[in-house]
Amino acid sequence: MIDIAIIGGGPAGQAAARQTLAAGLSTTMIDEQARPGGQILRQPPAAFAVKGWMAGRLYRPLRHLLAQTEADTRLDWRGSTSVAGIERIADHFRLTLSGAHGGTLLARRVLIAAGCYDMPVAMPGWTLPGVMSAGAVQTMLKSQQLVAGQPIVLLGSHPLLLVLAMQILDAGAEVAAVLMPQTYGRTMRAALPHLAGAMFAPSPLIAAGAAMARLRLAGVPLMMGARPIGFTGDGRLEAVDYAWRGRTHRIAAQVAAVSYGFLPQSDLPRQVGAAVRWARPAGGWETLCDGAMRSSVPGLYVAGETTGVAGADAAMAEGEIAGIAIALDAGAQPASDMARAQARRARLQPFIDLLRAVADPRDVWPQATPETLLCRCEDISVAQVEATMARLSPMADASAVKHRCRIGMGLCQGRSCEHALVRRIAAAQGCDPDAVAPFRVRFPARPLTVDEIIG
Amino acid sequence: MTHEVLIIGGGLLGCAAAWHLARAGLAPRLIEARGINAGASGQNAGSLHFQIERRFLEPGGTAHAQGGDIVRLNRLAIEEWAGLEDQLGRPLDIHMHGGLMLAENEADLALLSLKVARENELGLPTQLLSGAEARDLVPRLAPHICGAAWLAQEGHANPRILADAFADAAKSSGASIETQSRLLDLRRDGDHWQATIEQSGQIATARARHVILATGHWTARIAARMGLNIPLYLAPLMMSVTDRTAPFLPYLIQHVGKRLSMKQTDDGNMVIGGGWASAPQKMADGLPDLDAPPHLVPDNLRANLAVAAGVMPCLRGRSLIRSWTGMTCISADQLPIVGEVPAAPGLHVAAGGSMFTLGPLLARMLARSIIERAMPEEIALFSAARFAHLNAFVVPS
Repeated sequence: MIDIAIIGGGPAGQAAARQTLAAGLSTTMIDEQARPGGQILRQPPAAFAVKGWMAGRLYRPLRHLLAQTEADTRLDWRGSTSVAGIERIADHFRLTLSGAHGGTLLARRVLIAAGCYDMPVAMPGWTLPGVMSAGAVQTMLKSQQLVAGQPIVLLGSHPLLLVLAMQILDAGAEVAAVLMPQTYGRTMRAALPHLAGAMFAPSPLIAAGAAMARLRLAGVPLMMGARPIGFTGDGRLEAVDYAWRGRTHRIAAQVAAVSYGFLPQSDLPRQVGAAVRWARPAGGWETLCDGAMRSSVPGLYVAGETTGVAGADAAMAEGEIAGIAIALDAGAQPASDMARAQARRARLQPFIDLLRAVADPRDVWPQATPETLLCRCEDISVAQVEATMARLSPMADASAVKHRCRIGMGLCQGRSCEHALVRRIAAAQGCDPDAVAPFRVRFPARPLTVDEIIG
Repeated sequence: MTHEVLIIGGGLLGCAAAWHLARAGLAPRLIEARGINAGASGQNAGSLHFQIERRFLEPGGTAHAQGGDIVRLNRLAIEEWAGLEDQLGRPLDIHMHGGLMLAENEADLALLSLKVARENELGLPTQLLSGAEARDLVPRLAPHICGAAWLAQEGHANPRILADAFADAAKSSGASIETQSRLLDLRRDGDHWQATIEQSGQIATARARHVILATGHWTARIAARMGLNIPLYLAPLMMSVTDRTAPFLPYLIQHVGKRLSMKQTDDGNMVIGGGWASAPQKMADGLPDLDAPPHLVPDNLRANLAVAAGVMPCLRGRSLIRSWTGMTCISADQLPIVGEVPAAPGLHVAAGGSMFTLGPLLARMLARSIIERAMPEEIALFSAARFAHLNAFVVPS
């Protein structure tokens, strides 16, 4: 049995490992990627030689931590491995792993630092090949040094699109347009209450400003207040439709990169019974924790986007706090001071609040039509879901809808449609999404072959 | 408010009973603590199995002899299922294309031959097939399968839609069906029963001449609160489903020597179960929590899938999408307990084994026993009266 299993090799997991290793705890880190780094520093394959990889100033502390992690021989690194199951047995945990290091792993404590994923948004044509999440386009750039296609249109409410646009330009490709549904006015009004506090951590703001200037210089139209309507094409994406100043426009695109926000990975915390709540503003479920990143399940810690999407700096700070807490709870001596780590995390909050306010998708969602698929695994349309909900009225939870029309029953386990279904149920019942019981999270968190299970 | 019949529980049994009673003009009221079909009725694997089950062939005990009683009931259940889509007037994903109970070795085969001979005596037309004949029906069966018992009427249905169909039909026939309505208390009041019900934060009472506890694995505990002993024991189970694949298995697959049920749904998924245990969550006092989903037992999942892949090697490459758990209950003698509880006139139960396969039939019989004020002869064997001795010391309240 190991002392601590860290699920996720991103900034949070790495920062935690630094503390637990310094405290002399046997530490295993599990990640679905072959190499550590998480999504923010998604590494190229080891065989690639990439000059100036992720050289930006913002990435410097993250790259430093990554170099430290990769050089630490005490860390038991298990890449290319998924955690399919987590159970608490008496005073420890049993993880069911699949992939390169499949099998079971017993750990006294577990840290879930599993990050977040791009929120899929159902709108007309969103399942056409060529419509991608902004995160996927960015991953291809970071890891494979590939631009997904051209012309490329970026759309959605999340400012990540500005960073992505700049990275595409840096890669030598062109951006046809960036369509953001919120107006300048709304953006400023949303940002204003948070600006003063955010000045304590100004570098991301400067970076956003630099990105906007860079886009202007490159002649990329950044259209605030342009509301995406849908995607069209014969068998694959050919154009993006959007509304702009009262008229409908069409812009040609081979690839559309969409970002309305991110959903915390919540399958493992929910599987093991940790308390979660509806994440604001974008949705999904964030795992609740105390100031030392302890979840409601004894021995289970959470850090980073799992606790609410807040970016890599917050993840790194939370990972450090979790690592310190794990070391202290195990009766060992961590490398850093808890109060200082907590202060570092607290300083980031105003900027996180600012970003959340600016990116808030709630009043700028694109509209799905009755024919739009809500569940793309099982091909369940908005109309089918609405009809099922109507039959179940007045009270329905997400599972009741799922059982009757198969929404969320497919390979993705509802990761892409559950948030949208819960929002719809909440709207129909006039309640808060937090009051709607979501799907019951089941084993396995990722599909496993029968062969992998029986060995 | 006074009702002729109050039904507790909106699963398959309760909804089907509500429909039969409503059609007879009794305007029953059904209350369900959560939503329709939220319990075992919607969580089971949907097998329609009419051959004598593996558990009735296990040596020891009296279960072996009772296998015969089950066969008589199963023959009626076959007729019930065959007519259900017509009666309810809508498709229910009922498939009765046949079922195979497999033998993997000589010992299995010997048991299977005995079973088939016995079933044929009792009028159930099972046939013994060779391994080659079984593989003619299902070419993907493993080469070592050495025999199978074939019953043409077996199959599977979709447990996710059946209770809804009964509930809708019951409502159109005059039943009142109320969800999110929890029974808090049930007690005798003269020649009626008085129920205390919690409904959206409000407490209300209702009186009824007859009460049906269609409450699955909760039945024994509800009865215990009333001082009644109903010998029903918790059976927490697990089921699994794989990703979709092109249709290749129109039949139900079971195993004579091991716990296995396997079928392919309309959507192409493979559903795998067979009576493998899950672990109930516990309450503070150590008793099983009847409201919380049991935990998966990984060793049992592995064992269940190993049995499945053993008889159907192509499953090894399929992806497991989801395993889930649910709770049902079995009776002391593994036969259903159906009908009025002798120590509590007007209180009726229906639980205790194979309640998906037998549910539609038993619901009809139970409704008939209330309408005709007499237990139908066909299910007399399953009467709650056989456990009357357990309530010999109950003081009627």
